[in-house]
Amino acid sequence: MKSLAAREKLEQDVLKGLRRPGKWYLLGLACCALLFLGALGLWGYQLSRGLGVTGLMHPVGWGVYITNFVFWVGIAHSGTLISAVLFLFRARFRSSFNRAAEAMTIFALMVAGLFPLIHLGRVWIFYYLFPYPSQRTLWPNFRSPLVWDVFAISTYMIVSLVFFYLGTLPDLAIARRRLSGIRARIYSVLSLGWTGSHGQWKQYGRLYLFLAAFATPLVASVHSIVSWDFAVSILPGWHTTIFAPYFVAGAILSGTAMVIILVVPLRRALQLQPYISIDHFEAIAKILLLTSLIVSYAYLVEYGLAFYGHNQFEMELFRYRALGHYRALFWLMIVCNSLVPLTLFIRRLRRNLAYLFAVSLLVTLGMWVERFVLIVTSLAHDFDPYAWGTYTPSWVEIGITCGSFGLFFMLFLIFVKTVPVLSMSELKERL
Amino acid sequence: MARLLLNLGIIGYFGLFLLAAVALGGYWTGDRQQPQQPIAFPHTVHAGTLQLACEFCHRYAKQSRRAGVPSLTRCMSCHQTLAAEREEIKKLTRIFEAGQPLHWNRVYRLPDFIYFSHKRHVRGGVPCAACHGDVARMKTVRQVRSLEMGWCLACHRDLGAPTDCTTCHN
Amino acid sequence: MERRDFLQLLGLFSGAAMLPGCSENRSAGKLVSYLVPPDEGVLPGAALYLPSTCGECPAGCGLTVRVSEGRAVKLEGRAGHPVNDGGLCMRGQAALWRLYHPERLRNPLRRDGAGQFQPLSWDEALTLVVEELEQARQEGRANLLLSGRTTGTLTELQQHFCRQLGVEPLPQFEIFSHAALRKAYGILFGQAELPHYRIDQADLLLSIGADLLETFVSPVGYARQFSRAIKQDGFQWLHAEPHYSLTGANATERLVLNPGSEAALLSFLLLRIESSGQEGRLPRQLLRALPAVSAGQAARLTGLAEERLERLAKQLLLAERPLLIAGGIATGQPNGLQTALLAGLLQQQLGMIGSRIEFARAENYAAVGSLHDLQRLAERLEQDRVGVLLVCAADPLARAPAALDLPGKFKRAGLRVGLCDLFDDSARQFDLLLPLSHPLESWGDAVPRKGVLSLLKPALDPLHDSRSAGEVWLELLRRSAKPAESASYQEYLFDVWHRRLDERQLQQFAEQGYLSLPVAAVPLRLQAERAAGQLAGAETAVAAPWSLVLAPSIRSFDGRSGSLPLLSELPDPLSTVSYGRWLAMAPAAAQALQLEDRDLVRVAAGDWSADLPVRLQPGLAASVLMIQGDLLPEASLPIDPRSGELVRVLDGVRLEKLGSAAQLAILAGSSSQHGRGLIPDPAHHAEIPPEQSRFYRAHPHKEYRWAMTVDLELCIGCAACAAACYVENNVPVVGRRDHLRGREMSWLRIEPFYDQAGRAGFLPMLCQHCHNAPCEPVCPVYAAYHNPEGLNVQVYQRCVGTRYCSNNCPYKVRRFNWWQPQWQAPLEQMRNPDLAARDRGVMEKCTFCVQRIRRARDRARDEERPIRDGEVVTACGQSCPTGAIRFGNLLDEQSAVYRLARSERAYRVFAELGTEPSVYYLRKG
Repeated sequence: MKSLAAREKLEQDVLKGLRRPGKWYLLGLACCALLFLGALGLWGYQLSRGLGVTGLMHPVGWGVYITNFVFWVGIAHSGTLISAVLFLFRARFRSSFNRAAEAMTIFALMVAGLFPLIHLGRVWIFYYLFPYPSQRTLWPNFRSPLVWDVFAISTYMIVSLVFFYLGTLPDLAIARRRLSGIRARIYSVLSLGWTGSHGQWKQYGRLYLFLAAFATPLVASVHSIVSWDFAVSILPGWHTTIFAPYFVAGAILSGTAMVIILVVPLRRALQLQPYISIDHFEAIAKILLLTSLIVSYAYLVEYGLAFYGHNQFEMELFRYRALGHYRALFWLMIVCNSLVPLTLFIRRLRRNLAYLFAVSLLVTLGMWVERFVLIVTSLAHDFDPYAWGTYTPSWVEIGITCGSFGLFFMLFLIFVKTVPVLSMSELKERL
Repeated sequence: MARLLLNLGIIGYFGLFLLAAVALGGYWTGDRQQPQQPIAFPHTVHAGTLQLACEFCHRYAKQSRRAGVPSLTRCMSCHQTLAAEREEIKKLTRIFEAGQPLHWNRVYRLPDFIYFSHKRHVRGGVPCAACHGDVARMKTVRQVRSLEMGWCLACHRDLGAPTDCTTCHN
Repeated sequence: MERRDFLQLLGLFSGAAMLPGCSENRSAGKLVSYLVPPDEGVLPGAALYLPSTCGECPAGCGLTVRVSEGRAVKLEGRAGHPVNDGGLCMRGQAALWRLYHPERLRNPLRRDGAGQFQPLSWDEALTLVVEELEQARQEGRANLLLSGRTTGTLTELQQHFCRQLGVEPLPQFEIFSHAALRKAYGILFGQAELPHYRIDQADLLLSIGADLLETFVSPVGYARQFSRAIKQDGFQWLHAEPHYSLTGANATERLVLNPGSEAALLSFLLLRIESSGQEGRLPRQLLRALPAVSAGQAARLTGLAEERLERLAKQLLLAERPLLIAGGIATGQPNGLQTALLAGLLQQQLGMIGSRIEFARAENYAAVGSLHDLQRLAERLEQDRVGVLLVCAADPLARAPAALDLPGKFKRAGLRVGLCDLFDDSARQFDLLLPLSHPLESWGDAVPRKGVLSLLKPALDPLHDSRSAGEVWLELLRRSAKPAESASYQEYLFDVWHRRLDERQLQQFAEQGYLSLPVAAVPLRLQAERAAGQLAGAETAVAAPWSLVLAPSIRSFDGRSGSLPLLSELPDPLSTVSYGRWLAMAPAAAQALQLEDRDLVRVAAGDWSADLPVRLQPGLAASVLMIQGDLLPEASLPIDPRSGELVRVLDGVRLEKLGSAAQLAILAGSSSQHGRGLIPDPAHHAEIPPEQSRFYRAHPHKEYRWAMTVDLELCIGCAACAAACYVENNVPVVGRRDHLRGREMSWLRIEPFYDQAGRAGFLPMLCQHCHNAPCEPVCPVYAAYHNPEGLNVQVYQRCVGTRYCSNNCPYKVRRFNWWQPQWQAPLEQMRNPDLAARDRGVMEKCTFCVQRIRRARDRARDEERPIRDGEVVTACGQSCPTGAIRFGNLLDEQSAVYRLARSERAYRVFAELGTEPSVYYLRKG
């Protein structure tokens, strides 16, 4: 009976989140929506005038937009990591985070997917990138990593969506049961006739396990492919074999940090302390620390490769990264991604949520800057010294970047009010 | 009652598609030009009844990128006397005597990023009708081919003509 | 002239040129019938090639004008023309921008009472001029004509006009008048002329100050000569100058002189060579008059090492065919006349006069005056003695030193009539503006130097309601009821040609557009007595602390071409600055003052000062500052009282750091190549063989594999190629704002790289059409691909604008259209119809002039043969004054590029990357 009461309380606690939104929630949502609308306006402006409204130039043809793309794809990563990989490893703390992380994955991917479009010179013919039979009898160039991206991102998007939806099914059914009116109708459609029968649970468990196994390699593959956008080029600083693992580690680092950024306030706002404990945060902080160490190692290896290889272009590029025009950003990245997370070796700090939140903010910033430094310095300082140049983002690019955060948080806020933020069915197992 | 509504819904749904198809069809045929000309020149007479060779009037087709339209002196060389009483010929004579050039409306239009040479096609043995259709039976000439890239390519492939992009793309 | 003769000449000269109503406007969707069929041999849709003569500077280079659909779309140097023989400089290329300039005067304008310009008809305008001329005559005021340099028939007509109408012709105005040189030759030999120098006949060239490759008399011609000379073994070129010029950068050795020490250098050389006893040819009285300069003194004054000076004298003595050319900056100094005299003496002493210095082919500067004449004009205006002042094709208001206060004094003339083409600042100073036709719209002839007659004939109908100067003079004569003889200027010209040339010459003149006429030998005798008295010159003080050199600009000549947008878009080859004014400064001097590129400084001389951003110029002497002359119209420069030349070297200049920076469009990311071997060091060079394993299959090439060779020994960095590329390929001119952001659009650029010693090397960089092009595999839509003939093609219509290709290009030669390119009317008429216009969001780049390959292929297929070697000439290669750029088929073992690509000197930039470019560079030495 005790367990029944606990279940009742769990359902009530979690579904509390779906109640009529409060003042602060609406204010936050409005802010995010405004940011997003502003970005849409700026994109419209860019479409009408041309990419000249950005700060992009010769030789830096990729800037903030591609930085944002890589950044958001990276954020998308830890969702799958937490839900699929940790599921396979039977890590119990996973159930505190997996719903939020999966939602984050989908929203981050949606945001990420916009940037290749925003950065195109002629977005109105973006469909040239897709393989489809046309009267021109032309196909995309399958040797181009940009075409690989199209496949990698869309595959990841589909699998993540299915995985997320499947995971929420039992909870949607609970919501259907506990809510009334039009909302009950919507949830009843969404829950696809879930009854929670033994047979359904059996099928569900097998499918969920299969999807988890299916999604796991995607964690490695998607960001590897994104990294190949750079690694298959010939630019010093891009053309290196370390990029795939380096990008995956970086992606998990930034994604984990973003999970913490999302869940810490969520836990407080929805009073989920009983279900998301400090121990759970400590576990996820350890992932953060581990990936930070991997990323730092990659930084070292990059420099090692450049100077051991003794290639004059590489050596000059890496000297430029640390000491050239963008040196402030480079050192900011080192501090945020390599030095600050080292403090998480201290247990007390690891368990301090405010501190963890601050570290996560810094790591997120650091990872964005890392992508910027990596993309821009290599372009700004490549082979022909005559063509060297420096790039500064314009206000249009900065506005669209802010708008992407607006869109992301807007989607997340909507998610919080429409879907149970914790996996009730899994938490019940833990009770 | 519900059944009726359902039927109406189904009919309406597919009817929308039909409407869309009709509208699109109209739009696409609108793309194929059949403009009215300043002088109602009948190809049916010149190319049909009289069996004049295309190059009799479009004399540059074999020598230049442009096939060219006939100069007014060429028109007048026959029409000084021939059919001079007809209204359209009188119009032509007036224009000729005023010393003005005649502005025909284009039927076939290629975008400026396309390089096309009549000479290469005519000398390569492509009959005029392959692209322009049977003008001898057109009272007012209209565009009979889409001029889309796929259409060009199909012929180039069939005849073993070059399919390198620079062949046509400027 | 007989009607029959006229018609015969008309047939001869017009040929197939005039096709009324033959334009075909695609966008308007109209097909236009000819009224009458065009002549045989003229096909609609095919371009015409007409001869003409360039009017952008006094050199008078021969042109071939490509006319497509009734519009002039490209200018090329005319092969075989005695002045330029095929090459054309960037200013010549930009001449089309003057023709289609949006600010051209479109009809006559008259200033009303409120100072606003109101349009009026030609009839009214000319009537007004005639009336005013008559009135001034009655009032006893002088009517004056101040004209820019004219030659040939126009000069005669102008004289005739002046005689008939009682207008006093002033000596013609050119700021680069070479007055000191002409005066010196007049004193020495009684020939106040500017001789024709034969660099190609010399084995040692010593040039002092003369910027042979930029503005000196006939730069394309001299570059052509240089290209011939350097092919001889052992040709040496020494260039002495106080500043840093493109000419100096291309000499075998550049001797950096202290400003004002040219005369000391020449005195030393004269005395040393005389004392060697081998070449003593100077009369004793002259030797006595020479300022005695010992080696030690010369070393102290010039700043050159004593040993170098001795060696220089020895080099001159040992050379079989030495040539000395002094001029430009060397004579634009207070002791300029003395320098010119000493140079003339040295030329005489070493036997150059009459052989490598030809007075018989003197440059046509006879009618040109000096600034003294402007001074006199200013005085006359001051005395209110001037009625009508006619100013024709000259811009004295913008060029003359501010001290003359010409704009202020001009106001005192009764009626100021300007015959000009652009509505620019100086045009606003006139009362009546008569729009001049462009040389490409006019009939005419030119005699750039004795023995050369060059044809001008209209390549298109006038765009606006304008007339040529000849037509205006004739019309004014007619309206004054004076005998005008001819109905039109065309008829007048035909009459002159008919009288002067025989049948065969006429035929030749009409066909090739130029004529070489026999010249009479000019007897020269050194007039020692007159010369001796003039030898003492103004003393030179060693400059302290700064000297300022106002160098002539290759981009705008004396400033006259500065209003052509293309020439602002093209960077200055030495500094790579495109838009803006700057002060060039030695890096060491800048470092001492803690100045960097773009830092603002205040330069001041006398009561004049200007705030300018700094641009470091490697190789410049530490105490010398340099500004390009055309950028400083307001500077109050002194006039040399002895020669009437503008003094362009200022001493005692003050410099003050302002502590802020300005925006300046510097296009080079670095002036050093950081040891990357883009221009290999001749001493240690070995190409790394690109034998690398391939991941992808090699591209097969069946018939053609197009390739280019660029000979860096011949390349002088003049950027004529870049200008030609802009015009040929409709490359958009994007303006200052985008240049400041690093968004220039040039498909071909000149990269200057300086070594530690400040020596410059120039590398023309364009798409390398790599066999393993890094841009191709990364394009997601196959917009960039390799075609069967080895071209790296960019299909604009397919491009979605990811810019990955540009990122991955190690040569960074791809250009992105950040905005929709703008062509302000009527500039759009200049666009080459053989090329698509690119839209915003599309990547573009060098195509190896694929439209020219296509044209050649079309011709070859008509004649059922393969394309011949040399049949495809790219726009850059065509324009190159030295013929450094060759193009052809690498699969043809007989082709020039095949041979050159296998030369010992051949290398490819960044060969170690394995891109296998199709552009082969030939290193120096």
